[in-house]
Amino acid sequence: DALGELQAFLKNVRQGKATFTQTVTSPLRQGETAPRVQTSSGVFEFQRPDRFRFQYSRPFEQTIVADGQTLWLYDPDLQQVTIRPQAEALAQTPAALIASAADVRALQDTFELSNAPDADGLRWVQALPKAKDGQIQSIRIGFQQGRLAALDILDSFGQRSQIRFGPMDTQTAFGPGHFRFQPPPGADVIRQ
Amino acid sequence: CATPPPPLGGPSDHRWSGRLALQIETDPPQHFSAAFELSGQASAGELRLISPLGQVLGTARWTPQGAWLQRGREELPYADMDELTTAVTGTALPLEPLFQWLRGEPAALGGWQADLSRHADGRLQARRLQPEPAVQLRLVLH
Repeated sequence: DALGELQAFLKNVRQGKATFTQTVTSPLRQGETAPRVQTSSGVFEFQRPDRFRFQYSRPFEQTIVADGQTLWLYDPDLQQVTIRPQAEALAQTPAALIASAADVRALQDTFELSNAPDADGLRWVQALPKAKDGQIQSIRIGFQQGRLAALDILDSFGQRSQIRFGPMDTQTAFGPGHFRFQPPPGADVIRQ
Repeated sequence: CATPPPPLGGPSDHRWSGRLALQIETDPPQHFSAAFELSGQASAGELRLISPLGQVLGTARWTPQGAWLQRGREELPYADMDELTTAVTGTALPLEPLFQWLRGEPAALGGWQADLSRHADGRLQARRLQPEPAVQLRLVLH
């Protein structure tokens, strides 16, 4: 079942790299007929237990890197690097928590995991945050033949973020310094 | 207190979206950055703020009667947008001139001056010289 695929994925796939497309749908408001949808895309890389990188390329460039201790967020347009302790920021990047979690027990510290109905040709696990005051309402993790294919995140405002991953390369190893981030010259570095 | 008005969202509203970075020259300096969606005009409108990591920070709405900040299920009333934006970002955002700058119209108000030279490619910078502390606002429009 899907929960079994999640356990196998977390245990066997120790690193990965894939393109992704993210669609964020804002909740409808009075007077609005069509929901506002924003699409972005880029490359996602991870290495268990605690490193990952989101490299957004469209509609604008943005780099999010977790080096194990610190989460770096670089916005070239604003020439700004924001630094946060990684543990604190993980609650805000559920996608990263799922992909780089050390094992299923690590996930179960934060989420109630259960099988959800199949949909869109994928098998889904539902993850409900144990902390009730958090910003996340629910997350669904989608698998295709044991491969992480999708994440579906609903936040407490009703904003839905759907990430679809492309084929995942789980063989190519990352270089030792791959998940380190060096702020470019001229960028403001801000500790949050 | 005044009850909040019905939410805006009429078709005629122009909507600006982008990212903003605010630096307040206190010692040490304070920073605020977020993605935003802005609609309406200085007298009445709506501002949605989303954290760089994609979490919705809140939705602010304002009319001549007041301003309201919605976070999750709670909605907090404020006297006006100066008070609301100070609570959220650390300083009052210049709503009055902001709408003019977004349309590419120069406006100097409340100690704020804007550089609209790169307005064509969606870049906008503004500085507030007084009252102290000085504030720098950078906007990137999508």
